[in-house]
Amino acid sequence: MFRASNVTPWLYLLPVLLAVIVWVYEPLGQAAWLSFYEWDMLPDTAKRYVGLANYRNLLALPKLWQALGNTAIYMLGLLPFAVVIPFAIAIHTQDLPAHFRNIYRVMIFVPMIVAPVVAAAVWRWLLDPAHGLLNRAITSLGFHPVGFLSDPHVAIWTIIFITGWKLVGFATLIAAAANAAINPALIEAAKLDGASSWAVIRHIRLPLLSSTALLLVTMSLLLGAQWSFVYISALTDGGPLGATTNIYYLLWDFGFSSGAVGWSAASAVLLFLLFALLAVGLVRLSDRLSFHDN
Amino acid sequence: MTTDSIALPFPATRPATRIWPKGLAGHLVMVLLSALSLFPLYWMVISSLRPANAMFETSLWPATATLANYRYTLRAIPVAQMLGNTVVVSTCVTLIQLLTAILAAYAFTRWRFRGEKLAYSLVALTWLVPLQVVMIPNFLLVADTGLLDSLTALVIPHFASALAVMMMTQAMRAFPGELIDAARVDGSSDWGVLWRVIVPNLGPTLASLAILIFISTWNEYFWPLLLSRSPENTMIQIGIQMFMTAEGNQWGPLMAASTMASLPILALYVVLQRQVIQSFMRSGLR
Repeated sequence: MFRASNVTPWLYLLPVLLAVIVWVYEPLGQAAWLSFYEWDMLPDTAKRYVGLANYRNLLALPKLWQALGNTAIYMLGLLPFAVVIPFAIAIHTQDLPAHFRNIYRVMIFVPMIVAPVVAAAVWRWLLDPAHGLLNRAITSLGFHPVGFLSDPHVAIWTIIFITGWKLVGFATLIAAAANAAINPALIEAAKLDGASSWAVIRHIRLPLLSSTALLLVTMSLLLGAQWSFVYISALTDGGPLGATTNIYYLLWDFGFSSGAVGWSAASAVLLFLLFALLAVGLVRLSDRLSFHDN
Repeated sequence: MTTDSIALPFPATRPATRIWPKGLAGHLVMVLLSALSLFPLYWMVISSLRPANAMFETSLWPATATLANYRYTLRAIPVAQMLGNTVVVSTCVTLIQLLTAILAAYAFTRWRFRGEKLAYSLVALTWLVPLQVVMIPNFLLVADTGLLDSLTALVIPHFASALAVMMMTQAMRAFPGELIDAARVDGSSDWGVLWRVIVPNLGPTLASLAILIFISTWNEYFWPLLLSRSPENTMIQIGIQMFMTAEGNQWGPLMAASTMASLPILALYVVLQRQVIQSFMRSGLR
């Protein structure tokens, strides 16, 4: 081989590597660096080195703990939409004729390609306290209207529901594809042995579906709170009283509303560490579980 | 072959004890889920056609339909310009990401070299870094180049996509090596092999990636929110947001703007449903 071939692959890789370094890794380093400074992002004000003060202040901030708690609620609250409902539906509807399945498929996938802002706008309209269709139905039944986006106890669940609405059909298609890939001979054999249909689900389908399920769990745990960002930004601005603020929105709020770059950077570093830890844990788990497939 | 000769302890299928005909419950579930999926969009279109004095009606079919909301929206924000911007940005991002992914994937499949694993990990691990973590440095970088509030600013952060590189690498690794060897015997250069032999045969992967990138760029909200300032220089998704204000909502125009922003993607979906669904399924949940 020529020596030149040592350089050639790097030439082909150059655009991608340059892009990820410039837009991801260098900024990651810069965020870490900024987390030790106090700065309001105005070009003519000086950055002031404050050591670990940003971290100390941040950890003493009730807002941060509220946002972290909310982030956990978002992650766990999405699991029914991303995992439980899709698998229940996929297993339950597997015997439908292919013709019907295709029609349903086309319809339930639609929310996935709708822009998040459009979803936010439409649900804002449907859930409007005074004139929204849902509250009109609720009041016509004699109940008080629900402040879906203004009641601090309800708003976060509304955001989770909208995030889930966009996801559930697509997750159902993924679950159905995994379910359809199970060798029917296994099911037949179990039925011949007298297994009840619940036993078939419990002891054959679910174990064989576990790696797909874990993929969906991983995705919703790692990305769910991020998917909600658009709805928080467009619908609640993190309110009422911070009730819908998750860690991603808090970063945005620190950085661009409060202008507290150091705090935003410090929480970015904390978030990145938490995120990486969670990701490593989930990837380990999925490596262990994937033996089921063989 | 008969099963009579085998003594079964239980009947192979249980006798039907259902009240409902088989499959009805399944249909019911799917009809409900379909309705839940589609109704909000139906309501969006219907509301966008209602005249202002009938906006709060709850009839499922508007008694009178008008395009007044659309006319108002077109006057209030530069919709055509924003849609044009969205088309330009989405097309540029799609082409650029396909190009950079093709080049990178070729490097990963064509050669074994030192640092290969490291390079691949650098790309694959980018999804571990949430957007919000790097947004301030990215914002400062764009601001420093003086590109804030320009379409270029909306394209340049999207030069490379980990997903595109990974899917493209997978597709190229599955490409038959004999074809490449044959082309090399004919004296083709590495560059020539890539563009004359490999790329023309990657049609399905390219199409599926193009659909995926185009739709996700079209629906992008975070970058335009961060990097755009004026309505003329932003994408349609931000235009929608302009009708959602704390002071009050203009429901008619909001629904009209949402409908206009969604129509191109929905039209694409109607034409290419199967391919669109497949592209998303192949990519997992990203």
